[in-house]
Amino acid sequence: MKKLVVLRRSSQAFFLLLFIYILWSTTYPLEGLLPPEAFFKTNPSIMIFTSISERLLLPGLAFALGMLALTLVFGRFYCGWVCPLGTMIDISGSLRRKRDNLKRLPRLYLNIKYLFLFVILGFAAAGVQIAWILDPMGIMARFVSLNLIPTATLLVERSFIFLIRDLGLSGPVHDIYRALRGSLLGVKVHYFDSSLLIFLFFAAVCVSAFFISRIWCRTVCPLGALYSYFARFALMRREVEGCVDCLKCVSDCRMGAITDGRNYLKGECVLCMDCVYACSVKSTMFTFRRQGRRSQVTAHEKEKSGLSRRDFLFLIVSSIFITGAGWGKRTVKRKVIRPPGALEEDMFTSRCIRCGNCMKVCPTNGLQPVMLQSGLEGIWTPQLVPEVGYCEYYCNLCGTVCPTGAIPRLTVEEKTSRKLGVARVDRSTCIAWALNQKCLVCEEHCPVPEKAIKIQEINIGGEIVKRPVVVPELCVGCGICQTKCPVRPERAIKVRP
Amino acid sequence: MDRIFYKLECFLKSHISRRRFLKICLGGLAYFISTNSFLKYAFAKSASSKGRPKKGIRGDHDLVVAEGEDPYKNTVSAVKELGGMGRFVKKGDTVLVKPNIAWDRTPAQAANTEPRVVAAIVDLCYKAGARRVNVFDNTCNEERRCYDNSGIARAAREKGAKVYFADHWNVVKANFPYKSPMEGWPVFADAVKCDTFINVPVLKHHGLTGLTLSMKNLMGVCGGTRGLIHMDIGRKLADLTDFISPDLTVIDATRVLTRHGPSGGNLEDVVTFNKVIAGTDPTLTDAYAAALVGRDPMSISYIRNASERGFGSADLTKADILEYRTEGRQP
Repeated sequence: MKKLVVLRRSSQAFFLLLFIYILWSTTYPLEGLLPPEAFFKTNPSIMIFTSISERLLLPGLAFALGMLALTLVFGRFYCGWVCPLGTMIDISGSLRRKRDNLKRLPRLYLNIKYLFLFVILGFAAAGVQIAWILDPMGIMARFVSLNLIPTATLLVERSFIFLIRDLGLSGPVHDIYRALRGSLLGVKVHYFDSSLLIFLFFAAVCVSAFFISRIWCRTVCPLGALYSYFARFALMRREVEGCVDCLKCVSDCRMGAITDGRNYLKGECVLCMDCVYACSVKSTMFTFRRQGRRSQVTAHEKEKSGLSRRDFLFLIVSSIFITGAGWGKRTVKRKVIRPPGALEEDMFTSRCIRCGNCMKVCPTNGLQPVMLQSGLEGIWTPQLVPEVGYCEYYCNLCGTVCPTGAIPRLTVEEKTSRKLGVARVDRSTCIAWALNQKCLVCEEHCPVPEKAIKIQEINIGGEIVKRPVVVPELCVGCGICQTKCPVRPERAIKVRP
Repeated sequence: MDRIFYKLECFLKSHISRRRFLKICLGGLAYFISTNSFLKYAFAKSASSKGRPKKGIRGDHDLVVAEGEDPYKNTVSAVKELGGMGRFVKKGDTVLVKPNIAWDRTPAQAANTEPRVVAAIVDLCYKAGARRVNVFDNTCNEERRCYDNSGIARAAREKGAKVYFADHWNVVKANFPYKSPMEGWPVFADAVKCDTFINVPVLKHHGLTGLTLSMKNLMGVCGGTRGLIHMDIGRKLADLTDFISPDLTVIDATRVLTRHGPSGGNLEDVVTFNKVIAGTDPTLTDAYAAALVGRDPMSISYIRNASERGFGSADLTKADILEYRTEGRQP
């Protein structure tokens, strides 16, 4: 019985399910046991680099620092025991048929992740947050929120429809379906633009483990690099007594952290506990006590950090040059409709970590990931797409679930006064303007209590025709008029940012 | 990496055996069939329906208008004066109560039906022996917010009603005996298949038609792009009412939104009337409610259309109307 491995696996399963549960409950009315931003607050890479780039102390930074403190005690426990993406990588890695083709990576490759870390640090120092690009939590969160949950709900919904409509099982089955829709499933199946690309990013990370185990964690992951740096000084360590040099642990180590029977790279070890049970003389253990000779980790300690001082300076200077072009205060014109109360465009793209929480929680499914409409720096940030869904007037959930405050936390009263854009009627296609027919669906739905769309009455051949006119001062740009406009294929009323 | 390229090379160089060829063909066929049947289910043709049967149940009066502080009491008393719920709901009936839950607004903002009126109707139905009372609406704002903030979902559930969201796939196509612009329009199957249909709208202002009343409330049982109903709305709503032919109409005029309807939001636009109007003829109840807020019933396009085509009467002078205050009155 491999007790420690079982323990590690149950911890991984627990945190994976917890992660999915938190994101699943990130929906109206937000009654989950944990706040939706909880997991992200414990992510030091996101919290620290965003704090540096935005020159502020993000609320919840203490949790991230606490994780680093725990790493100083236990080592990279997060990567092996908690990280949901790490769990997915382990699962996909375990699907390999042959388990002995773990290619040992040259030591140099392990330093690539430090390179990424320093580039991120350099950009953060220059005021741009790019930690989100390779952040494992973001990759996993986007996959769960924008791929997994919509697909799962679609499948359940479709199977119920099949059972009820095509097999004729009404009655209790229909009641179960209705109860599920009101609670677990959600009222409608959400769909997201460019979700295939988001899935491919996630899949690439998982499939990479198919060829070389945990290669993402060993060579790319910046969060892993941060933890790895701190894990070098961890109090808990691997100790081996009476090694017989069978090297079984070396070939079994998923991280390739064990250099030979006795020595290992402390910063690479994720405490998966495989070596404890692989050991042919059962003499490997993880302990706080220092036993025997001090030589166990010297091999690693002699080796300096992945980057020389010269490399480090070069990176800092070059990253300043790279971002130097945008250093001065520049105002970026907003090309897409941002969520209510979102920061100025350049601040928003820098502060946003693309976790997908706002898109997951948006009750109308109107918040969608941007592809390239707002430039390369805006990829996967949220935008409101009124064709899909509008901004609900009394809803402030997107600001509530944002972990970094890119969308500020607003009260409902504050939110109703925030402008997302302004609607404009296209009089050449509008049913009332172009065809002189009755419509006014936009006026009917306008949520502003004074109605931002006013009715203009005009007498045409004895018939009174009512036409919609937008009052830009009153319009909040929620986009419900565009969502509900019956004109196709292009709506006759559109919101501009 | 070398391994992958090696395998790829092997695959490309290998001779495709008969077995492998058959496997690929069968796989493709299975894929084709599965996707095809999926499409068939996704866009299956829904059945058409000729609408609900016209039962023609009459009340003791044409209209009963109860006025009083308590909307629950008003409703119970008005239905009682009309002849009691037992006249409309038989033992073992499935009843659909259709309130207006269209907007994400609180009861005080008066954009939705007063929850206590809905609760009273549900209560009366169960007391009359209904097997099941369904409550749903195809909302304009987001469904869960409307159901929660209107207070109707909770009030109706407390009385035992089944409150659920409209299933957009569970529709029938409307089929009329005469030529109608609503021909083929998707209507929720539950609205057509129920034994008793009770329409519980709220009286409020509406930009296009002037007022939202019981006939306009029936748009809530329609699927599809409902905005298109607004073109030629008078004719379409009259046809829809004829198609559904509600057995009982109870208009909530407890709080009336007099401006900036139908969604409203400003409490200054709300006037308290404290009335409940019950009747069996949707046209007549609508005409009375329109007159109540000082509108000429004939200026509301759908009332005019329905009365001109003889679906109902909008002549308040000929109708037998019972108006009373519920306070101090012994039921």
